Amino acid sequence: MIRSVIVVGGGQAAAVAVRTLRRRGYDGSVLLVSEEHLPPYQRPPLSKEYLAGEEDWESLCLLPESWCADNDVELRLNTRVTAVRGREVEPASGARLTADALLVATGGRPRRLPGVEGERVRYLRTVADSDRLRGDLRPGARVVVVGGGFVGSEVASTARSLGAEVTVLECLPVPLQRALGPEMGGVCAALQRAGGVDLRTGVTVTGYAESGDVAAVRTGEGRVVEGDVVVVGVGMLPNVEALHGFELDDGVLVDEYCRTSVPGVYAAGDVARHHHPLFGRAVRVEHFDHASAHGMAAAKSILGQGTPYTSPHWFWSDQFGRNLQYTGHADEWDEIVVRGEVEEFDFIAFYLRKGVLQAAFAMDRGGDVAVARQLVSARAVPDPGFLRDEDADLTELL
Amino acid sequence: MSWVEAASLKELGRRRRKLVVVGDQQIALFLVGETVYALRDVCVHKQRSLSKGTILHGRIICPGHQWSFDPATGRAEGQDPCQPTYQVRVEDDAVYVDPRPLVAEESR
Repeated sequence: MIRSVIVVGGGQAAAVAVRTLRRRGYDGSVLLVSEEHLPPYQRPPLSKEYLAGEEDWESLCLLPESWCADNDVELRLNTRVTAVRGREVEPASGARLTADALLVATGGRPRRLPGVEGERVRYLRTVADSDRLRGDLRPGARVVVVGGGFVGSEVASTARSLGAEVTVLECLPVPLQRALGPEMGGVCAALQRAGGVDLRTGVTVTGYAESGDVAAVRTGEGRVVEGDVVVVGVGMLPNVEALHGFELDDGVLVDEYCRTSVPGVYAAGDVARHHHPLFGRAVRVEHFDHASAHGMAAAKSILGQGTPYTSPHWFWSDQFGRNLQYTGHADEWDEIVVRGEVEEFDFIAFYLRKGVLQAAFAMDRGGDVAVARQLVSARAVPDPGFLRDEDADLTELL
Repeated sequence: MSWVEAASLKELGRRRRKLVVVGDQQIALFLVGETVYALRDVCVHKQRSLSKGTILHGRIICPGHQWSFDPATGRAEGQDPCQPTYQVRVEDDAVYVDPRPLVAEESR
């Protein structure tokens, strides 16, 4: 019988786990320990609506004080955890803590670019980062974004919407290539350029300097790109340094029940590389929806109500006036079947491997993505002609 | 009651969803099984258009961020805000809507 739970970390997975514990009637103690000075909050708007000043802090907050008080949940904020050994947690200051079950939901931190440091360099992970960056995104400001991933692309979009001039430097041939592959990454490149971004691909960053009001990024070609501010979005690193005695491999390894190699200790969200039965191997993803579902799955496992986590991943991005969505997981494919108009940025692309639907990516076709997600889950082998046909109802494939 | 003829059943037949404007209300009609439901078209979450979404296992999926709504109550699975709905009456081939929005009590 579990009578005490400690959650280490204060992001989406942590918050959903805490809510799930209470929703399912668990009435033992719950303590959440977070390094941040704010209670858990949603991160997706930090590069979009919140960054643009369209949403406020209240709309982001996941565990408001009043909810914690009503539900007898203790938040210990501003508290860095220096070590987790077995079910024992060592805060940077104060006594060691232990509980019947521990959930590691420590998330990640932005990967730093060596040598790119200074007063005009911005990274984006927290509310404070977003608040600071907002001040830089003025009409006419020159913004240099290093990295054409989702954070970089969304910041570029928001900066353009606020009237800034934006240059994106991406080391691969197209933006979002790691997530979407070269073909669909190319469509995203076209979308960025149509949105007024000076997108430069195949460009590495080799140096950085600041003088006065100017930030200067040196590229591998020997050119210098100047701006008022430089935003670096080159991925994140999972926060595993405090974990001792755990199996680690780009994150902490968990099984399909969110169990780590240490008995009584679970992990969820960005930090957890999870065995995924649908994909047949361990994967680690950094999506909002996954963090929510994984946090929920971990809470259920802690309560002895666990079921295998098999949800096909899903994420969205809002950029340049379009809603992008992706579901599934495709490292390899032998065919991409498109329904709709790529040039109009209104389509869904199906990734097939040996006929099996692995993943789908869409612009402004979220309804179709909902169906595709179910098809991925069912390992469907859809007829490409049917997928292509605008008049064919995808739900007939279910 | 102020029933307004909004669409024909036939128009809902093919895609099972249709955007109609009744008075000042943008309304998304859905044919779920044999029943017609009406919800405010603009999603309560982030203002996307529900009529561009899909019907999956009897629920309405918003295309923007995959919020899943009960078409009868407007309640969203796992979310607090509730989508306004409208009363619907079908006579022969005509779909009538009462353009006064109904909002269920917010779930927790």
